[in-house]
Amino acid sequence: MNNQFTQRYEELGWEFVEVHNKHCIRVNNLKTNARELIKRLEAKGMSIKKVPFLENGYYVRSKYSLGATPEYLLGLYGSQEVASQLPVKVLKPEGLVLDACAAPGGKTAQIAEKADAVIALESQSSRIPSLVNNLERLGVSNALVYQSDARSFEAKLKFRKILVDAPCSGNFVTDKGWFEKQSLSNFNSRQKLQKEILANVLTLLEEKGELVYSTCSLEPEENEMVLQWAIEKLGLKVVPIDCIGANGLTDVFGNKLDSQIKNAKRIWPDLVGTQGFFIAKMVRK
Amino acid sequence: MIDIFLSKFGIAKLAYFNIGNRYYTASEKLLALNKEIDKKPELIGTFLGEIKDGKFSPSLPLLSIIAKDTNEKVIIKEIGENDFLYGKNLRPRHILKIEGTMKEGFLKIVVNEKNECLGMAKLKKITGNEASFRNIIDLGDYLRRERK
Ligand SMILES: C[S@@+](CC[C@H](N)C(=O)[O-])C[C@H]1O[C@@H](n2cnc3c(N)ncnc32)[C@H](O)[C@@H]1O
Repeated sequence: MNNQFTQRYEELGWEFVEVHNKHCIRVNNLKTNARELIKRLEAKGMSIKKVPFLENGYYVRSKYSLGATPEYLLGLYGSQEVASQLPVKVLKPEGLVLDACAAPGGKTAQIAEKADAVIALESQSSRIPSLVNNLERLGVSNALVYQSDARSFEAKLKFRKILVDAPCSGNFVTDKGWFEKQSLSNFNSRQKLQKEILANVLTLLEEKGELVYSTCSLEPEENEMVLQWAIEKLGLKVVPIDCIGANGLTDVFGNKLDSQIKNAKRIWPDLVGTQGFFIAKMVRK
Repeated sequence: MIDIFLSKFGIAKLAYFNIGNRYYTASEKLLALNKEIDKKPELIGTFLGEIKDGKFSPSLPLLSIIAKDTNEKVIIKEIGENDFLYGKNLRPRHILKIEGTMKEGFLKIVVNEKNECLGMAKLKKITGNEASFRNIIDLGDYLRRERK
Protein backbone atom coordinates (compact mmCIF):
# COMPACT_ATOMS: atom_id res chain seq x y z
CA MET A 1 0.00 0.00 0.00
CA ASN A 2 1.34 3.39 -0.94
CA ASN A 3 -0.74 6.56 -0.77
CA GLN A 4 -0.51 10.07 0.66
CA PHE A 5 -1.37 8.78 4.14
CA THR A 6 1.15 5.95 4.22
CA GLN A 7 3.75 8.39 2.89
CA ARG A 8 2.97 10.70 5.78
CA TYR A 9 3.42 7.80 8.24
CA GLU A 10 6.78 7.11 6.67
CA GLU A 11 7.79 10.74 7.14
CA LEU A 12 6.77 10.36 10.79
CA GLY A 13 9.01 7.32 11.14
CA TRP A 14 6.64 4.38 10.66
CA GLU A 15 6.61 2.04 7.72
CA PHE A 16 3.12 0.91 6.79
CA VAL A 17 2.22 -2.75 7.28
CA GLU A 18 -1.19 -4.45 7.15
CA VAL A 19 -2.28 -5.34 10.69
CA HIS A 20 -4.83 -7.88 11.82
CA ASN A 21 -6.55 -6.77 14.92
CA LYS A 22 -6.57 -9.55 17.55
CA HIS A 23 -9.84 -10.20 19.40
CA CYS A 24 -9.68 -9.01 22.96
CA ILE A 25 -12.05 -8.92 25.90
CA ARG A 26 -12.09 -7.01 29.17
CA VAL A 27 -13.12 -9.02 32.22
CA ASN A 28 -15.91 -7.17 34.03
CA ASN A 29 -15.01 -7.27 37.70
CA LEU A 30 -18.38 -5.80 38.63
CA LYS A 31 -19.87 -9.23 37.87
CA THR A 32 -17.09 -11.82 37.90
CA ASN A 33 -13.32 -12.29 38.12
CA ALA A 34 -10.71 -13.44 35.64
CA ARG A 35 -10.26 -16.92 37.12
CA GLU A 36 -13.98 -17.77 36.98
CA LEU A 37 -14.52 -16.32 33.53
CA ILE A 38 -11.48 -17.97 31.95
CA LYS A 39 -12.60 -21.34 33.33
CA ARG A 40 -16.03 -20.87 31.76
CA LEU A 41 -14.77 -19.70 28.38
CA GLU A 42 -12.09 -22.39 28.17
CA ALA A 43 -14.75 -25.00 28.89
CA LYS A 44 -16.42 -23.79 25.67
CA GLY A 45 -13.24 -24.44 23.72
CA MET A 46 -11.97 -20.88 23.58
CA SER A 47 -8.29 -20.19 23.88
CA ILE A 48 -7.42 -17.34 26.22
CA LYS A 49 -4.19 -15.44 26.83
CA LYS A 50 -3.57 -12.54 29.19
CA VAL A 51 -2.50 -9.26 27.62
CA PRO A 52 0.67 -8.63 29.65
CA PHE A 53 0.34 -4.84 29.88
CA LEU A 54 -3.38 -4.73 30.77
CA GLU A 55 -5.04 -5.41 34.09
CA ASN A 56 -8.18 -7.09 32.76
CA GLY A 57 -7.50 -7.64 29.07
CA TYR A 58 -7.33 -11.10 27.46
CA TYR A 59 -6.75 -12.17 23.87
CA VAL A 60 -9.37 -14.70 22.85
CA ARG A 61 -9.53 -17.16 19.99
CA SER A 62 -13.02 -18.54 19.60
CA LYS A 63 -15.23 -20.15 17.01
CA TYR A 64 -18.20 -18.28 18.50
CA SER A 65 -18.87 -14.60 18.03
CA LEU A 66 -17.57 -12.97 21.22
CA GLY A 67 -20.44 -10.50 21.18
CA ALA A 68 -23.17 -13.13 21.45
CA THR A 69 -22.20 -15.76 24.04
CA PRO A 70 -24.32 -16.26 27.20
CA GLU A 71 -21.32 -14.92 29.18
CA TYR A 72 -21.33 -11.75 27.09
CA LEU A 73 -25.09 -11.33 27.54
CA LEU A 74 -24.66 -11.87 31.28
CA GLY A 75 -22.18 -8.97 31.24
CA LEU A 76 -19.24 -11.01 32.48
CA TYR A 77 -17.01 -9.38 29.89
CA GLY A 78 -16.98 -6.66 27.29
CA SER A 79 -15.50 -7.02 23.85
CA GLN A 80 -12.86 -4.26 23.94
CA GLU A 81 -9.90 -3.90 21.64
CA VAL A 82 -6.45 -4.01 23.30
CA ALA A 83 -5.40 -0.40 22.69
CA SER A 84 -8.78 0.95 23.71
CA GLN A 85 -8.29 -0.47 27.21
CA LEU A 86 -5.22 1.72 27.72
CA PRO A 87 -6.69 5.24 28.17
CA VAL A 88 -8.58 4.27 31.34
CA LYS A 89 -5.53 2.43 32.69
CA VAL A 90 -3.60 5.68 32.22
CA LEU A 91 -6.44 7.75 33.73
CA LYS A 92 -6.40 5.73 37.01
CA PRO A 93 -10.02 6.59 37.81
CA GLU A 94 -10.88 7.72 41.35
CA GLY A 95 -13.47 9.99 42.92
CA LEU A 96 -15.80 11.68 40.47
CA VAL A 97 -14.90 11.11 36.82
CA LEU A 98 -16.19 12.73 33.62
CA ASP A 99 -16.24 10.65 30.45
CA ALA A 100 -16.80 13.42 27.91
CA CYS A 101 -17.32 11.37 24.72
CA ALA A 102 -18.78 8.14 25.95
CA ALA A 103 -20.73 6.01 23.46
CA PRO A 104 -20.72 3.05 23.13
CA GLY A 105 -19.41 3.02 26.67
CA GLY A 106 -16.58 0.48 26.80
CA LYS A 107 -14.44 2.95 28.67
CA THR A 108 -17.31 4.28 30.80
CA ALA A 109 -17.82 0.78 32.20
CA GLN A 110 -14.09 0.39 32.75
CA ILE A 111 -14.04 3.71 34.66
CA ALA A 112 -17.08 2.67 36.71
CA GLU A 113 -15.15 -0.26 38.23
CA LYS A 114 -12.75 2.13 39.98
CA ALA A 115 -14.49 5.51 40.32
CA ASP A 116 -16.97 6.59 43.01
CA ALA A 117 -19.20 7.84 40.23
CA VAL A 118 -18.90 8.54 36.52
CA ILE A 119 -20.75 11.11 34.47
CA ALA A 120 -20.90 10.13 30.82
CA LEU A 121 -21.72 12.53 27.99
CA GLU A 122 -22.64 11.70 24.42
CA SER A 123 -23.83 14.27 21.91
CA GLN A 124 -25.44 11.95 19.35
CA SER A 125 -28.92 10.82 20.32
CA SER A 126 -28.60 7.80 18.03
CA ARG A 127 -25.60 6.59 20.06
CA ILE A 128 -27.23 6.89 23.50
CA PRO A 129 -29.04 3.49 23.34
CA SER A 130 -25.82 1.55 22.76
CA LEU A 131 -24.18 3.40 25.66
CA VAL A 132 -27.06 2.78 28.04
CA ASN A 133 -27.41 -0.87 26.91
CA ASN A 134 -23.75 -1.58 27.50
CA LEU A 135 -23.79 -0.05 30.98
CA GLU A 136 -26.94 -1.99 31.82
CA ARG A 137 -25.55 -5.30 30.56
CA LEU A 138 -22.28 -4.80 32.43
CA GLY A 139 -24.13 -4.04 35.68
CA VAL A 140 -22.83 -0.49 36.10
CA SER A 141 -24.80 1.24 38.85
CA ASN A 142 -22.68 4.36 39.56
CA ALA A 143 -23.11 6.18 36.26
CA LEU A 144 -25.14 9.16 35.14
CA VAL A 145 -25.60 9.52 31.39
CA TYR A 146 -26.57 12.75 29.64
CA GLN A 147 -27.13 13.53 26.02
CA SER A 148 -24.92 16.57 25.85
CA ASP A 149 -22.35 18.29 23.70
CA ALA A 150 -19.05 18.26 25.60
CA ARG A 151 -18.23 21.63 24.02
CA SER A 152 -20.96 23.30 26.03
CA PHE A 153 -21.75 20.94 28.95
CA GLU A 154 -22.09 22.78 32.25
CA ALA A 155 -22.29 21.51 35.84
CA LYS A 156 -21.88 22.95 39.31
CA LEU A 157 -19.26 20.26 39.90
CA LYS A 158 -15.55 19.69 39.57
CA PHE A 159 -14.05 16.39 38.46
CA ARG A 160 -10.91 14.74 39.79
CA LYS A 161 -10.35 12.94 36.49
CA ILE A 162 -11.61 13.60 32.98
CA LEU A 163 -11.38 11.36 29.95
CA VAL A 164 -11.69 12.90 26.50
CA ASP A 165 -11.74 9.89 24.17
CA ALA A 166 -12.27 12.27 21.34
CA PRO A 167 -14.28 11.88 18.14
CA CYS A 168 -11.60 11.44 15.46
CA SER A 169 -11.05 10.29 11.91
CA GLY A 170 -10.35 6.70 13.07
CA ASN A 171 -7.74 4.48 11.46
CA PHE A 172 -7.24 1.92 8.70
CA VAL A 173 -7.09 -1.15 10.95
CA THR A 174 -10.70 -1.13 12.08
CA ASP A 175 -12.12 0.62 9.00
CA LYS A 176 -11.27 -1.20 5.79
CA GLY A 177 -12.19 1.63 3.43
CA TRP A 178 -10.44 4.23 5.56
CA PHE A 179 -7.80 5.41 3.03
CA GLU A 180 -10.42 6.07 0.33
CA LYS A 181 -12.64 8.05 2.68
CA GLN A 182 -10.14 10.37 4.30
CA SER A 183 -8.82 13.82 3.52
CA LEU A 184 -6.47 16.23 5.25
CA SER A 185 -9.32 18.71 5.62
CA ASN A 186 -11.22 16.10 7.66
CA PHE A 187 -8.29 15.88 10.11
CA ASN A 188 -8.37 19.64 10.49
CA SER A 189 -12.12 19.85 11.08
CA ARG A 190 -11.82 17.08 13.70
CA GLN A 191 -8.99 19.04 15.32
CA LYS A 192 -11.29 22.05 15.75
CA LEU A 193 -13.90 19.89 17.50
CA GLN A 194 -11.24 18.22 19.70
CA LYS A 195 -9.88 21.60 20.83
CA GLU A 196 -13.34 22.93 21.61
CA ILE A 197 -14.13 19.86 23.73
CA LEU A 198 -10.84 20.17 25.64
CA ALA A 199 -11.34 23.89 26.27
CA ASN A 200 -14.77 23.37 27.77
CA VAL A 201 -14.13 20.29 29.91
CA LEU A 202 -11.04 21.91 31.39
CA THR A 203 -13.37 24.36 33.18
CA LEU A 204 -14.79 21.33 35.02
CA LEU A 205 -11.45 19.86 36.16
CA GLU A 206 -10.41 20.14 39.82
CA GLU A 207 -7.36 22.35 40.40
CA LYS A 208 -5.11 19.32 40.82
CA GLY A 209 -7.17 17.07 38.57
CA GLU A 210 -5.89 15.04 35.62
CA LEU A 211 -7.18 14.87 32.08
CA VAL A 212 -6.51 12.04 29.66
CA TYR A 213 -6.84 12.78 25.96
CA SER A 214 -7.02 9.85 23.55
CA THR A 215 -7.94 9.15 19.95
CA CYS A 216 -7.88 6.12 17.69
CA SER A 217 -6.30 8.26 14.99
CA LEU A 218 -2.68 8.16 13.82
CA GLU A 219 -2.79 11.66 12.37
CA PRO A 220 -0.65 14.30 14.14
CA GLU A 221 -3.28 16.99 13.40
CA GLU A 222 -5.62 15.20 15.84
CA ASN A 223 -2.94 14.26 18.36
CA GLU A 224 0.40 16.02 18.88
CA MET A 225 -0.88 19.25 17.32
CA VAL A 226 -3.87 19.30 19.65
CA LEU A 227 -1.48 18.88 22.60
CA GLN A 228 0.74 21.71 21.32
CA TRP A 229 -2.32 23.96 21.27
CA ALA A 230 -3.39 22.79 24.77
CA ILE A 231 0.08 23.63 26.12
CA GLU A 232 0.09 27.08 24.52
CA LYS A 233 -3.54 28.11 24.86
CA LEU A 234 -4.95 26.20 27.83
CA GLY A 235 -1.87 26.28 30.05
CA LEU A 236 -1.66 22.49 30.30
CA LYS A 237 1.36 20.30 30.84
CA VAL A 238 1.79 16.82 29.28
CA VAL A 239 3.06 14.44 31.97
CA PRO A 240 4.79 11.02 31.72
CA ILE A 241 2.56 7.94 31.67
CA ASP A 242 3.04 4.25 32.20
CA CYS A 243 1.87 2.94 28.84
CA ILE A 244 3.20 0.97 25.90
CA GLY A 245 3.90 2.80 22.64
CA ALA A 246 6.33 5.13 20.95
CA ASN A 247 6.90 8.62 22.31
CA GLY A 248 4.69 11.40 21.00
CA LEU A 249 6.28 13.19 18.05
CA THR A 250 7.99 16.53 18.53
CA ASP A 251 8.86 17.02 14.88
CA VAL A 252 5.77 16.85 12.71
CA PHE A 253 6.42 17.41 9.00
CA GLY A 254 9.16 19.92 9.86
CA ASN A 255 7.19 21.69 12.64
CA LYS A 256 9.02 21.57 15.97
CA LEU A 257 6.67 20.93 18.89
CA ASP A 258 7.11 21.27 22.66
CA SER A 259 9.42 18.59 24.07
CA GLN A 260 6.83 17.54 26.74
CA ILE A 261 4.78 16.01 23.93
CA LYS A 262 7.27 13.13 24.06
CA ASN A 263 5.44 12.08 27.22
CA ALA A 264 2.39 11.11 25.16
CA LYS A 265 2.24 7.64 23.62
CA ARG A 266 1.58 6.79 20.02
CA ILE A 267 0.59 3.19 19.45
CA TRP A 268 1.43 2.21 15.89
CA PRO A 269 -0.76 -0.78 14.97
CA ASP A 270 1.99 -3.35 14.46
CA LEU A 271 3.33 -2.91 18.00
CA VAL A 272 0.92 -5.44 19.51
CA GLY A 273 -1.61 -6.04 16.72
CA THR A 274 -4.07 -3.29 17.59
CA GLN A 275 -5.79 -0.42 15.94
CA GLY A 276 -3.81 2.82 16.07
CA PHE A 277 -4.09 4.85 19.25
CA PHE A 278 -2.76 8.00 20.85
CA ILE A 279 -2.84 8.72 24.59
CA ALA A 280 -1.71 11.69 26.67
CA LYS A 281 -2.21 12.78 30.27
CA MET A 282 -2.39 16.48 31.03
CA VAL A 283 -2.51 18.57 34.21
CA ARG A 284 -2.54 22.32 34.82
CA LYS A 285 0.92 23.96 34.79
CA MET B 1 -47.43 -0.32 39.21
CA ILE B 2 -43.89 -1.48 39.90
CA ASP B 3 -45.06 -2.50 43.42
CA ILE B 4 -47.74 -4.78 41.98
CA PHE B 5 -45.12 -6.36 39.73
CA LEU B 6 -42.70 -6.87 42.65
CA SER B 7 -45.44 -8.38 44.81
CA LYS B 8 -45.91 -11.17 42.22
CA PHE B 9 -42.43 -12.31 43.26
CA GLY B 10 -42.93 -11.76 46.97
CA ILE B 11 -40.67 -8.69 47.02
CA ALA B 12 -42.03 -6.16 49.47
CA LYS B 13 -39.43 -3.44 49.40
CA LEU B 14 -37.20 -1.80 46.83
CA ALA B 15 -36.20 1.86 46.86
CA TYR B 16 -37.01 3.42 43.50
CA PHE B 17 -38.05 6.66 41.84
CA ASN B 18 -39.34 7.60 38.45
CA ILE B 19 -38.52 10.14 35.80
CA GLY B 20 -41.62 10.30 33.64
CA ASN B 21 -42.62 6.71 32.89
CA ARG B 22 -39.15 5.29 33.54
CA TYR B 23 -38.14 3.80 36.92
CA TYR B 24 -34.67 3.76 38.49
CA THR B 25 -32.84 2.96 41.67
CA ALA B 26 -29.74 5.03 42.49
CA SER B 27 -27.46 5.91 45.38
CA GLU B 28 -27.91 9.16 47.33
CA LYS B 29 -24.61 10.25 45.83
CA LEU B 30 -25.87 9.96 42.24
CA LEU B 31 -29.10 11.74 43.13
CA ALA B 32 -27.09 14.60 44.63
CA LEU B 33 -24.82 14.79 41.57
CA ASN B 34 -27.80 14.87 39.24
CA LYS B 35 -29.10 17.94 41.09
CA GLU B 36 -25.94 19.81 40.08
CA ILE B 37 -26.63 19.27 36.40
CA ASP B 38 -29.39 21.10 34.68
CA LYS B 39 -30.38 18.30 32.32
CA LYS B 40 -32.56 15.23 32.25
CA PRO B 41 -30.42 12.10 32.58
CA GLU B 42 -30.69 9.30 30.04
CA LEU B 43 -29.62 6.92 32.80
CA ILE B 44 -29.18 7.32 36.53
CA GLY B 45 -27.96 4.33 38.52
CA THR B 46 -29.90 1.23 37.55
CA PHE B 47 -32.86 1.27 35.15
CA LEU B 48 -35.69 -0.83 36.59
CA GLY B 49 -38.31 -0.68 33.87
CA GLU B 50 -40.96 1.50 32.31
CA ILE B 51 -44.66 1.86 31.86
CA LYS B 52 -45.52 0.89 28.28
CA ASP B 53 -49.11 0.88 27.00
CA GLY B 54 -50.36 1.18 30.56
CA LYS B 55 -48.34 -1.87 31.72
CA PHE B 56 -45.12 -2.13 33.72
CA SER B 57 -42.35 -3.62 31.61
CA PRO B 58 -39.38 -4.72 33.77
CA SER B 59 -35.75 -4.23 32.82
CA LEU B 60 -33.28 -7.11 32.81
CA PRO B 61 -31.36 -5.63 35.81
CA LEU B 62 -34.61 -5.54 37.81
CA LEU B 63 -35.16 -9.24 37.09
CA SER B 64 -31.61 -9.94 38.35
CA ILE B 65 -32.37 -8.05 41.56
CA ILE B 66 -35.59 -10.02 42.01
CA ALA B 67 -33.83 -13.33 41.25
CA LYS B 68 -31.75 -12.95 44.40
CA ASP B 69 -34.81 -12.87 46.68
CA THR B 70 -37.68 -14.71 45.06
CA ASN B 71 -38.63 -18.34 44.98
CA GLU B 72 -40.83 -17.85 41.91
CA LYS B 73 -38.19 -19.29 39.62
CA VAL B 74 -37.61 -21.79 36.88
CA ILE B 75 -34.11 -23.25 36.74
CA ILE B 76 -33.05 -24.34 33.29
CA LYS B 77 -30.40 -26.75 32.03
CA GLU B 78 -27.45 -25.71 29.90
CA ILE B 79 -29.18 -27.02 26.77
CA GLY B 80 -32.12 -24.73 27.47
CA GLU B 81 -29.94 -21.69 28.00
CA ASN B 82 -29.06 -21.09 24.34
CA ASP B 83 -32.61 -21.69 23.12
CA PHE B 84 -34.04 -19.32 25.71
CA LEU B 85 -31.46 -16.62 24.91
CA TYR B 86 -32.51 -16.88 21.26
CA GLY B 87 -35.98 -15.85 22.36
CA LYS B 88 -37.48 -19.35 22.31
CA ASN B 89 -40.08 -20.69 24.73
CA LEU B 90 -39.15 -23.22 27.42
CA ARG B 91 -40.11 -26.86 26.86
CA PRO B 92 -40.02 -29.60 29.48
CA ARG B 93 -36.62 -30.86 28.18
CA HIS B 94 -35.07 -27.46 28.95
CA ILE B 95 -36.20 -27.42 32.55
CA LEU B 96 -34.31 -28.67 35.59
CA LYS B 97 -36.60 -27.48 38.36
CA ILE B 98 -39.58 -25.21 38.98
CA GLU B 99 -39.89 -23.37 42.28
CA GLY B 100 -42.85 -21.50 43.80
CA THR B 101 -46.47 -21.48 42.63
CA MET B 102 -47.44 -24.07 40.02
CA LYS B 103 -50.30 -22.31 38.29
CA GLU B 104 -50.83 -21.51 34.63
CA GLY B 105 -50.41 -17.80 33.85
CA PHE B 106 -47.88 -17.22 36.67
CA LEU B 107 -44.64 -15.36 35.96
CA LYS B 108 -41.28 -16.95 36.80
CA ILE B 109 -37.75 -15.59 36.82
CA VAL B 110 -35.60 -17.80 34.58
CA VAL B 111 -32.18 -18.73 35.95
CA ASN B 112 -29.44 -21.12 34.83
CA GLU B 113 -27.82 -23.76 37.03
CA LYS B 114 -25.45 -21.10 38.40
CA ASN B 115 -28.49 -19.08 39.53
CA GLU B 116 -27.70 -16.32 37.02
CA CYS B 117 -30.78 -14.53 35.79
CA LEU B 118 -31.52 -15.02 32.10
CA GLY B 119 -34.94 -13.41 31.87
CA MET B 120 -38.60 -14.01 32.66
CA ALA B 121 -41.21 -16.49 31.41
CA LYS B 122 -44.92 -17.20 31.93
CA LEU B 123 -46.15 -20.64 32.89
CA LYS B 124 -48.14 -21.67 29.83
CA LYS B 125 -49.16 -25.24 30.33
CA ILE B 126 -48.90 -27.89 33.01
CA THR B 127 -49.24 -31.52 31.89
CA GLY B 128 -48.82 -34.02 34.69
CA ASN B 129 -45.36 -33.38 36.16
CA GLU B 130 -44.20 -31.29 33.25
CA ALA B 131 -44.60 -27.65 32.30
CA SER B 132 -43.85 -25.32 29.45
CA PHE B 133 -43.29 -21.58 29.56
CA ARG B 134 -43.65 -18.65 27.21
CA ASN B 135 -40.57 -16.46 26.90
CA ILE B 136 -41.50 -12.92 28.00
CA ILE B 137 -38.01 -11.40 28.01
CA ASP B 138 -34.46 -12.75 27.88
CA LEU B 139 -30.90 -11.38 27.82
CA GLY B 140 -30.73 -11.88 24.04
CA ASP B 141 -32.78 -8.70 24.00
CA TYR B 142 -29.51 -6.75 24.34
CA LEU B 143 -28.53 -7.96 20.86
CA ARG B 144 -32.01 -7.63 19.35
CA ARG B 145 -32.23 -4.00 20.51
CA GLU B 146 -28.94 -3.11 18.84
CA ARG B 147 -30.13 -4.60 15.54
CA LYS B 148 -33.31 -2.51 15.49
C1 LIG C 1 -14.18 7.66 19.92
S1 LIG C 1 -15.88 7.63 20.27
C2 LIG C 1 -15.90 7.23 21.98
C3 LIG C 1 -15.73 5.77 22.33
C4 LIG C 1 -16.04 5.50 23.77
N1 LIG C 1 -15.23 6.33 24.67
C5 LIG C 1 -15.86 4.05 24.17
O1 LIG C 1 -14.82 3.70 24.74
O2 LIG C 1 -16.76 3.23 23.92
C6 LIG C 1 -16.31 9.33 20.32
C7 LIG C 1 -17.75 9.60 20.69
O3 LIG C 1 -17.90 11.00 20.90
C8 LIG C 1 -19.16 11.39 20.41
N2 LIG C 1 -19.10 12.85 20.19
C9 LIG C 1 -18.82 13.51 19.03
N3 LIG C 1 -18.85 14.84 19.25
C10 LIG C 1 -19.15 15.02 20.56
C11 LIG C 1 -19.35 16.17 21.37
N4 LIG C 1 -19.21 17.40 20.86
N5 LIG C 1 -19.68 16.00 22.67
C12 LIG C 1 -19.81 14.74 23.18
N6 LIG C 1 -19.64 13.63 22.45
C13 LIG C 1 -19.31 13.76 21.16
C14 LIG C 1 -19.34 10.57 19.18
O4 LIG C 1 -20.70 10.50 18.81
C15 LIG C 1 -18.76 9.24 19.61
O5 LIG C 1 -19.76 8.43 20.17
